[in-house]
Amino acid sequence: MPVTLVHPGNETVAKAAAPPARLASLKGKKIGLLDISKPGGSLFLDRLEQILRTDYGAQEIVRTRKPTFAKVAPDPVIEQLRGMDAVIEALAD
Amino acid sequence: MAQQTIPQSALLEIPGYKPGAKALLVFFETDCPTCQLALPYLNALSTNNGGVQVIALSQDDAAATRQFVEQMEIRYHVELDQGLKLSRSYDPQSVPTIYLLNERGQVERSLVGFDKAGLNELARSLGQPEIAPANDGAPAWKPGCSSRHLEPEASEASATPEATPLLRRVGQAAGRITVADHEDPVEYCFRQFGDALPVVPPTEERVAAMLRACELAPETVVGRVPPVYAEATVEKIAANAVMAGCKPELMRVLIPLVRAVCDERFNAHGVQATTHFAAPLIMINGPVRNELGFWCKQNVFSNVARANSTLGRTLQLILLNLGGARPDGIDMSALGNPGKFSFCIAENEEESPWEPFHVTRGFDRGQSALSLFAAEPPRGVSEHTAQRGDVLLRAVCQALATIWSHRACMKFEAVVVLCPEHVKTLDRSGFNKQQVRQFLFENTGIPVRYYAEPDNGEGTQLVSQYREIVVQGERCYQKFASPEQIHIFVSGGTAGKFSAVLGSWSTGPAGSQMVTYPIPAAI
Repeated sequence: MPVTLVHPGNETVAKAAAPPARLASLKGKKIGLLDISKPGGSLFLDRLEQILRTDYGAQEIVRTRKPTFAKVAPDPVIEQLRGMDAVIEALAD
Repeated sequence: MAQQTIPQSALLEIPGYKPGAKALLVFFETDCPTCQLALPYLNALSTNNGGVQVIALSQDDAAATRQFVEQMEIRYHVELDQGLKLSRSYDPQSVPTIYLLNERGQVERSLVGFDKAGLNELARSLGQPEIAPANDGAPAWKPGCSSRHLEPEASEASATPEATPLLRRVGQAAGRITVADHEDPVEYCFRQFGDALPVVPPTEERVAAMLRACELAPETVVGRVPPVYAEATVEKIAANAVMAGCKPELMRVLIPLVRAVCDERFNAHGVQATTHFAAPLIMINGPVRNELGFWCKQNVFSNVARANSTLGRTLQLILLNLGGARPDGIDMSALGNPGKFSFCIAENEEESPWEPFHVTRGFDRGQSALSLFAAEPPRGVSEHTAQRGDVLLRAVCQALATIWSHRACMKFEAVVVLCPEHVKTLDRSGFNKQQVRQFLFENTGIPVRYYAEPDNGEGTQLVSQYREIVVQGERCYQKFASPEQIHIFVSGGTAGKFSAVLGSWSTGPAGSQMVTYPIPAAI
């Protein structure tokens, strides 16, 4: 006799999102740098910004920062990254 | 001046609006999570409940609005703001915005976003009882979304958002799984839904028995469990409770427990995803301890009582199966915490001369309550020879000094679980609970000389924010920002002078805040 169980888990099927096409080059691109506000993150991103500008010819760098690493980024932070060609979210410590 | 007393013509065009009577005009969007949170509270103020006329104006189309009204169980008048005409006229900057209109149609006051204190003040001004209880699982405050008429693409027609039933109050019935004859249901559940230990298969009969202990409808959404935010319906909670081995009578504790863990102040999203040790510690107080058998004596942190073990385990199973933070996936804790099997203690109120913990947290002694704290595992404090309370507390101070990292100050909290023998020593020395907190606050310090070497170790970068104190003649930085960061809980057996200190995760509004919820006598 088969046993019938009540599903105890999440039954929502997450929609799969296709990743955007990989950029062939960073030259002339707009790059967002998201600092999650962990200690040392800004130092890492300062250096990254410099490299993106000088070595890779990125046209525009937009820096934004989460108020706390302990929570998801609020909408205004995400909003600043709209329109970027690529975003780098940096973990730190 | 006379013109201002005449309701605007646009207002008079709203079907159902009755001039000459007070009204609440509520602008909302169907896909705004704050609107989904706020609007159901206004049911209690509508004329159906002897209140005022409430008219909600949707900035979205008919289909989305109909779905919103059904899913949010809105029981007052809802109209479409065609062409966002009224939105442009009243010009709310964000939604939800609630306007209280007086008898002449003038705006008497407005309330922006979701604000429990504001909603209760609004209710009071209308001669109604409070409508937004502090501990119903919703945050005290939540900002709204930009009003549709201010969006750059706002057209003459109302926008049509993609239907996102994010905060619906009634979910779907749980699906059914048929386990094939050749498969052992215990093995199947262990593999699919277990916590690395066998679970009791949640058969329809067992779940039905659990549901009979609760008057809420099975599809009622109690909370959305971070970080995946799957809906914890009463039925899903019951199924996980069965798996953990709960007795049905625990449902009245599980419902507020799920509300508490989904409370934004607790920030389970962060707690469940951090690389830190944190796990939700459940602390039980009040008559429910004896009614349902929550243990508060020897081995309180151990595998000693069914109520403690199964309640804590159910919470963990819910966090796994609905929250999605699996320990081999999203839960990134570097070392984990044995409390992730089960982490539930009760206060030994009978052995304490002080007010119980939940009374300190603002509840009546006769009210049962649960508190949640994002805790590290306990670290023991042995003190068998001290005769004086201050000597004993200095041993506790040394353990408190090591919370998080010994040179990190001000940002962390701790639960101090004092055993009954230690409490007796303190009581004999004349300490009450507040004096214990104060002593621990004033005497937990990290010697300044530990910071002399510029080694960039953890906690040394923020010294400019620290407060200098003197502890037993030594210059120190004060470990805690306030006595309120130290929580005193009496528990454990009456033999053995062992207490424990449990550190926190990141605390305060940017981290995880302790939450305390009442446990009803029936639910």
